[in-house]
Amino acid sequence: MSSDILSFIIFLPAVVAIGLMLTTRDVNTIRNIAFLTTTVILALVLKIYIDFVPSGGMQFVTNVPWIETYGINYYIGLDGFSLTILMMIAILIPTSYLLLWEGKTKGYWINMLLVQSGVTGTLLSLDVVLFYFFWEVMLLPVFLMIGSFGFGDKVFTTIKVTVYTMAGSLLMFIAILYLGVAYHNEFGVWSFSYDKLMQITTIPYDTKVWLFLAFLAAFGIKIPIFPLHTWIMETYKNSPTGAVFLLSSIMAKLGVYAIVRFMIPLFPEIYIEFSTWFVAIGLFGLIYFGIAALMQSDIKRMFAYSSASHLSFISAGIFSLNSYGINGALYLIIAHAIATGALFLLVGLMHEQTGFKTIKDLGGIAKKAPIFTFIFAVMLFANVGLPGTNGFVSELLIIFGIYEFNHALGYVSALTVIIGASYMLWMFQRAILQDRPEGSDELTMRDLKVKEVLGLAPWVILVFLMGFYPEVFMNKFEPTVTHYLNDILQIGAAK
Amino acid sequence: MNQFFYLIPALTILIGALTLMFMSMYEKFSVKNFIVVSSIFLLIALGFSLANVNSSYSVQPFSNFLNNVLTFDTFSNFFNILLILGTILTLLIGEHYFQHRSYFKGEFFSILLFALFGMMLLAHANELVTAYIALEIASFSIYIMVGYNTEDSKRVEAIFKYLVLGSFIGAFYLLGVVLIFGATASTNLADISTFISTANADNMILLYIGLTLILFTFLFKVAAFPFQSWVLDVYRGAPMVITAYMASTFKIAIFSFFLRTILNYISPIIDFWDEIITVIILLTLLFGTWLAITQKIVKRMLAASSIVHTGYLLLAFIALSYKDGHITNIDSAYATMFYLIAYLFSALGTFGLASHIISETNVKVTYDDFKGLAKQRPFLAAMMTIFLFSLAGIPSTIGFIGKLYVFTEAINAGYVGLTIVAIIATIISVYYYFKLIAMMYFYPPKTNCAIEEFNDKRVSTYAIAFVAILTILGGIGSAIVFFIPALNIDEIINLTQLAVQSLFIK
Repeated sequence: MSSDILSFIIFLPAVVAIGLMLTTRDVNTIRNIAFLTTTVILALVLKIYIDFVPSGGMQFVTNVPWIETYGINYYIGLDGFSLTILMMIAILIPTSYLLLWEGKTKGYWINMLLVQSGVTGTLLSLDVVLFYFFWEVMLLPVFLMIGSFGFGDKVFTTIKVTVYTMAGSLLMFIAILYLGVAYHNEFGVWSFSYDKLMQITTIPYDTKVWLFLAFLAAFGIKIPIFPLHTWIMETYKNSPTGAVFLLSSIMAKLGVYAIVRFMIPLFPEIYIEFSTWFVAIGLFGLIYFGIAALMQSDIKRMFAYSSASHLSFISAGIFSLNSYGINGALYLIIAHAIATGALFLLVGLMHEQTGFKTIKDLGGIAKKAPIFTFIFAVMLFANVGLPGTNGFVSELLIIFGIYEFNHALGYVSALTVIIGASYMLWMFQRAILQDRPEGSDELTMRDLKVKEVLGLAPWVILVFLMGFYPEVFMNKFEPTVTHYLNDILQIGAAK
Repeated sequence: MNQFFYLIPALTILIGALTLMFMSMYEKFSVKNFIVVSSIFLLIALGFSLANVNSSYSVQPFSNFLNNVLTFDTFSNFFNILLILGTILTLLIGEHYFQHRSYFKGEFFSILLFALFGMMLLAHANELVTAYIALEIASFSIYIMVGYNTEDSKRVEAIFKYLVLGSFIGAFYLLGVVLIFGATASTNLADISTFISTANADNMILLYIGLTLILFTFLFKVAAFPFQSWVLDVYRGAPMVITAYMASTFKIAIFSFFLRTILNYISPIIDFWDEIITVIILLTLLFGTWLAITQKIVKRMLAASSIVHTGYLLLAFIALSYKDGHITNIDSAYATMFYLIAYLFSALGTFGLASHIISETNVKVTYDDFKGLAKQRPFLAAMMTIFLFSLAGIPSTIGFIGKLYVFTEAINAGYVGLTIVAIIATIISVYYYFKLIAMMYFYPPKTNCAIEEFNDKRVSTYAIAFVAILTILGGIGSAIVFFIPALNIDEIINLTQLAVQSLFIK
């Protein structure tokens, strides 16, 4: 059965992780097995990517009862949206292993595998309770990673991030249950699959707004949307590189994905009505986080703000109600995942080597590590949105989308790109290019090893490939977006 | 003969208790012998109970001898299984603790089985005085067990607080029974049920007052606000294993009787108490949460969090209501029963594991004592994490499914505001449970909690592992892990449905 392939992809890492927990092999063997697992998954995902029919709607569906009493099903499947992000996860994770290769412990690799199971499950589940299940579970390994391998006041950070995100998730949980009950009262049977819940008509408008906000609490905290961002600075600063990478380039994207998958279809009319607000909040977040990033002295905190800034831009694109905006947002999800993921991994490497993480302590990296600098620069430019990179295509699309949505906001969004460019390039100049001040010692910094270059090479290629030939990639998800938007606008207008 | 079959589990426990009492007169038996003998009796009783698990029946055997005061049906059988299972697991998890505490002598195990006998009778009782006697057999056994901890100066406080307050609240119960008898001229719940359906409102006042007094007893025993003040000190002063037993198993017994009363006998008037219970739930959740975050000793934190769990249970309880001649939201009875199972495993796991760790030392068990446990005992730390996840309601554990059921039913019954409060309590509970996990995993060892020669390969460890596996299986079921044939989650809920439906067999 071809539909079992998705379950296989979800559970293989977890099963391997449990197996590895019980072995007493040395850390190198464990890492190699973990890496092999992720490459197997990459191969399987590639196969799915080829088999996928762009206009075919939901594919590879498995739908079996899980908790029959409440009609909760093990319901997974994928369409253009999830395929794109699945592909992204499958490529990013194994290559990130290559950059994290040295000096990790057994627990680190096992947690990395468990996270992969969690995020894939979150991405593919179509039943909201199942989604909630994975959504919570994917956080737990990250919690362990931050606490065990983090820096600074790591225990406080761990508890803070856990309580913060769980608070959002539990608010969503109650909204999910409310929807399920409403469906039960209207149709007389229990169901929690998202396509069934979309049919509910009995919920009064005021309640819907509250439910919408409850969902937004969960996703807004993960993304983060202003003003729910206060956890990320400390977390990104104190977390180990792997956890930061997972949080910023994968889990934050899942928050955006969940908005597209669940929130908008469930509450289309509220989405349409509040869209101006959310685009405005998104743009405000973009500017606010951008200016905050300019002020940071710690390089990881700066990237935390920059990441938040870009994600605000993505959510602004999502709320812009047209195919430019949503296509652009999806494209930026991928572009940003690649660029930020690479940058966080490279910064982590730099921190390990030099022992410094404040911008003013660094300097002269360009001379010592030219290949490192080159790749760093490419990712930086992709992040800023230089023409020829994937960041450019996506930012342009989002700006178009917002312009079409509202001309004034469109102009604002076009101008904000400058902020992004300024803090990034300023940091690049101070931390990488410029020599350290006279009299201070040279930093110890080695260049990238072959393995690491090999790991990053596909990302660099993707940055340019996606920048020059966007159609190749967009064709996979564009039909889904068009179809999706038609549905939403129709339903929203009908109500 | 056929009717006698249903009596066997309870009788086995009684005979077991007596046997152990006689055994304890001889010096030559070791603690291990007692554990083995009581386990054998418990397993026999469990076997006989399990034989009836899938059949739906309701009988009142030997009516000329028992005067219809005990009902043997699928419902009581279901609870018997839980109670016996809870006792066996307590016994096995505590094996390590029992062996390293000099004060556990033979008669302790006899008392344990007497307590179980009382609880089982309580699950069968359908007459108020019988229920009182059963409740007191169980309570008195537990009072004695609470006072067993001769090495702890807090035990006197614990036993007196519990004994005095418990007897006091018992007097309330008796007064309630008297008032009900005054109104209905019977203490049999079936007669009371007939009275409710025929009498007019004016004659009901005494009944309402009497039942309210009985409700107080119930709230005291399950530690709901404002009757919760004993919990922290009693749980703190009792031997750790007994704390586990009280928190998990005794609570189930209390719920079994009151669930039977509410579902079967007084259902037409249950909506009368809705406002009171709403306020009680609100305060139980808030107060329990506040107590839990301020505790430094793990045992007291878990005790306080058990108050919060009582709040969740009552939330499912209140969702029951009566309309047009039948109970609406009968599903919330299943939710209550499922949550009891979930709480049985998680609470037994946490308390039991804590007792197992401290068996060979004599520490207070503060948060600090758990520092670095993950490095010294990774296996035990992992299981503790599972139990704490389950208590906090994290998905993939049985606690999550329990919360899912309870909250769904509460929303379904229209208590959205209360459910939001419960969710907020859950959010805060994440803090105090995860703090303990953080202690285990993120700090270097302090070496005073689990000592070096600690032997991992013993019955206690395996029993705890068994409970941990049940906790995970109950939360995942067989559908997600479809390649492993495991017990489906629905099986449990189906059993609870069967049990509740047997109440209505006439």
